Amino acid sequence: MRESWFKRARAGLITAAVLALVFSLAPNVYNNSSLLFMMMTYIVLSQGLNLLYGFTGYLPFGYVGFFGTGAYATALLVMKLHLPIGLAIAAGPIASMIVALVLGPLLRLSGAYFSIANLAASQILFIVIGNPNLQDITGGPYGVKIDEVYNPTASYAAMVVLVVVVTLIATFFRRSRFGQGLKAMADDPVSAEMSAIPVVRMRLLAWLTSAAVAGLAGALYAWNLSVFYPDAVFTLEISVFAIVFALFGGVGTVLGPIIGAGLLYALYNAIGISEPQYFQLIYGVLIVGLVMFLPEGILSLLTRRGINVF
Amino acid sequence: MKLKQFRLAVAMAAAALTAAGAASAASAPSVIKIGTLYAGSGNFAVASQAQYKGLQFWAKRVNAEGGVYVKAFNKKIPVKIVAYDDQSSTSTATTLYNQLITQDKVDLVVSDFGSVLTSVAIPLAKEHKMLLIDPTGSSAGFFKEKTDYLADVSIPSSAVWPMPLAKFLEQEHIKKIGIIYGSNDFDGSQADTLKAEFKKIGVTPVFDHAVPTGERNYTVLLHSAAAAHPQALIELGYLPNDVAFLKSLKSSGLHFPFVFTIFPGQFKQLMEKNVGADALKYTYSYPAPPMIKYEKVNLGMNTDQFVTAWGKTHKGAEPNFVNAGGYNAGILMAKAMGTSPKFTQLGMHQALLDMSGKITTVVGAYKLSPTGAQLGQRLPIAQFQPQKDGSLKTVVVYPDSHKTGNAIYPSPAG
Amino acid sequence: MQALLEYAIVGGVLYGIFFGLVAVGLNLIFGVMRIINLAHGEFVILGGFGAYWVSHSLGLNPLWGLPLAALGAVVIGFPLYYAVVPGLQRSRDPEMLSFILFFGLAQIIDAIISLGFGPDQRSLPDEALGGGTISVLGQAFPDSWWVAAGVSVLAILGLWLYLTRTRLGFATRAIMANRDEAYATGISVDKVSAIAFIIGLALAGAAGVFVPYLQGSVGPGIGNSLTTTSFAILIIGSLGNPVGTLFGGLVFGVGSMLMQTFYASWSDLVPYVLLVVIVLVRPQGLFGKAVRHA
Repeated sequence: MRESWFKRARAGLITAAVLALVFSLAPNVYNNSSLLFMMMTYIVLSQGLNLLYGFTGYLPFGYVGFFGTGAYATALLVMKLHLPIGLAIAAGPIASMIVALVLGPLLRLSGAYFSIANLAASQILFIVIGNPNLQDITGGPYGVKIDEVYNPTASYAAMVVLVVVVTLIATFFRRSRFGQGLKAMADDPVSAEMSAIPVVRMRLLAWLTSAAVAGLAGALYAWNLSVFYPDAVFTLEISVFAIVFALFGGVGTVLGPIIGAGLLYALYNAIGISEPQYFQLIYGVLIVGLVMFLPEGILSLLTRRGINVF
Repeated sequence: MKLKQFRLAVAMAAAALTAAGAASAASAPSVIKIGTLYAGSGNFAVASQAQYKGLQFWAKRVNAEGGVYVKAFNKKIPVKIVAYDDQSSTSTATTLYNQLITQDKVDLVVSDFGSVLTSVAIPLAKEHKMLLIDPTGSSAGFFKEKTDYLADVSIPSSAVWPMPLAKFLEQEHIKKIGIIYGSNDFDGSQADTLKAEFKKIGVTPVFDHAVPTGERNYTVLLHSAAAAHPQALIELGYLPNDVAFLKSLKSSGLHFPFVFTIFPGQFKQLMEKNVGADALKYTYSYPAPPMIKYEKVNLGMNTDQFVTAWGKTHKGAEPNFVNAGGYNAGILMAKAMGTSPKFTQLGMHQALLDMSGKITTVVGAYKLSPTGAQLGQRLPIAQFQPQKDGSLKTVVVYPDSHKTGNAIYPSPAG
Repeated sequence: MQALLEYAIVGGVLYGIFFGLVAVGLNLIFGVMRIINLAHGEFVILGGFGAYWVSHSLGLNPLWGLPLAALGAVVIGFPLYYAVVPGLQRSRDPEMLSFILFFGLAQIIDAIISLGFGPDQRSLPDEALGGGTISVLGQAFPDSWWVAAGVSVLAILGLWLYLTRTRLGFATRAIMANRDEAYATGISVDKVSAIAFIIGLALAGAAGVFVPYLQGSVGPGIGNSLTTTSFAILIIGSLGNPVGTLFGGLVFGVGSMLMQTFYASWSDLVPYVLLVVIVLVRPQGLFGKAVRHA
């Protein structure tokens, strides 16, 4: 007999509650809210990427494409149609899911081919949105400005909620038959197909969920930033950071991306603030060192000792 | 009795005054913290570090004189620059600006070079009610409404840069014009202004192409431009674009009667090193200070003094425009602190507004609008004319108020 | 119009051949080791700075940057290979793990270049590679373009000969086809891979020598775009086949130059759109064997 619903979700509920508490109280202790906001953004993005990579084995280099799409959908709806910010934010994940549907055929590709094709797709989105010929529609290279709805407190609170939601989604992936089915497909697609798992549909579902998470993160990021150029929400740096954080924490788990993004992003800023002169160098050395000494992510320290990590 | 009362009153008043004096002395900080960011790497590294060096140069000089005079405390206080590396990334810049404001509690924030890295600081500064000193973030979009928390101090809005260029082309009766510009705010807004100005006199560019900001290969593009036979070819890019464009132009063997690029006027030495004096000869640019001289200034050093002083502290190197821009941001902040009766953000903003129109510095006339835009410091047009010894002379050809010589148009081939 | 078309095509061929060289080293390393070398662009830049150094500090012709790139590849590549690659191969997902590792490496190289040389762009004198122009079909291009294209063709041809005509080359291709089988048949996989790694870096460095000519200048910070473009080109061509990469470069070059001539602001799209279309229509690349699954 399977465990009860609550028992399976317990670890996830606790994690989500702890995160909610930490990020709600943190601004009282440390009031660089931009840093805390960015940290939450990267927790969400790493977790969203984990939903896809950790459970299906598809690593989207162009993950930032969904993030940027969400950010632009929100900003443009506020700017052009003067939609209330709540509706505009809801449009973010919808837009990124539409993009994900269009890019659905990429899932036919394997390994690095998928990753690189996805990267190309995100570059295409960036180039199209930033193109001067589309200035009237997207603002082109001049970027967007929605400072009339700028609200750092509310957008911060919304991001806390998103962190909770994403943690719960990840818990579902980790503890449900759906997630287990995805993992089975990743390990052995042929026999998964034979055992009547709807491979294509489930994979597409994971893909859309992952895209929606990034789109929503982008929407909230746009709200929090309120003035930005296309480069700010389409830079590959965002993809790379999310991937590095997720892999560093340990993919396929719920805690891995949270710990990876939280810890590594904190370290990144600690280096930037204490050693600005050697910022890039130290960060590079740190990453290379981590890969060489902890190739399976930081949670492998526990799993190696036989501890089952949530 | 009355006398006693009077004495008491005097004593109390004296005590109150002493206490007030002590309080004001106590609240005067031991250092004035100026927070800023620079790009140690990435797209903006060259210009950003130039601006940072200019600001450091100012701080060093001020501290050598015992600090900056702050009127609110009626004394000189040393300056300390708190600076972080944003690596040309807007998201890193956002967190670091916030760090400066909320953790380091700096007294003034100076934004990093250019519009992209300045953009994210604007809402943050507003939220925290901090005055953002913006040396070089010149996107017209920043200055749409009245604000107390933004002051563009060192360069005019990029949209107004090409006004003199348009006027000069009109004066020279040059009507067939080709424009190549980068797909970004800085270059795009200049191209838009140019086209709008041309439209007024009924001129449509014969060649008009936006290129990706990262474009580094102009050979084929130049060839298509040549096919349109423009009298003037104007390339609006960032520094690496201008280098690539001028190099491609030289090695292509093509010749245009009039060629304009933006950055040789700001980074002449660097451009000469990169593309060679030969590739620059007879081309035009916006000559920025210190290339054009402001002899009569009423704040800080004039151009010659600046160049000499800079050389002394930088092993004889010549300063460029962005160095001057960083220094200029420093002296304007100092002046604001020295005149504002209150050491508050609003007080200093008011002081910056009050100075507007009355001050000329190393980068020219200073004129701040209530929206934070810089309206002074128009950039003229200059041509690099080869001399007999092979060197290039910067000859200002427009407007007449700055003119040092006549344009050689069309430029001789070969 | 026809003249413009011809000019764009000839220019695209030259530019594309050169980009074949930029991408071919990445192809070799990816094909043999299944490593995503995100620092590829940085190795190209190092080659450019090497050429700048021999030209400015030693006063030599920048072409001496080519042997320097080979030497540098041995000095850097040999220890680097043994420090990181065998460890990566043992991990669960080497392809993806290498992604992070080489991202870190790219940061380190970028930082070292910035600290050592400063942020400025560097250019090389045109005269060193001729300084005139050469015309083909009435279309004049700078000498440096022809030299770059010529060296690129020779380098790619040399790599092709190495892979198809030498014993080490056979072993390399066996590893590309199937690493485990190669182990089983007694090939010293590490030695052969290390050589391929060094050759890959040398080719990247050699391409870097010409970057200041074809891109105006070289500076830290252009690595990313070189890396992504290279990935696009090698997938447009196909994995493991240097001639395919050359062809991928040609498609990229001609496509970009035609786009630049007629719709300049969209020219950035060319490599990425080509890539997406090609992987969807023919995932094995124009020159490769099938690789898709499920």
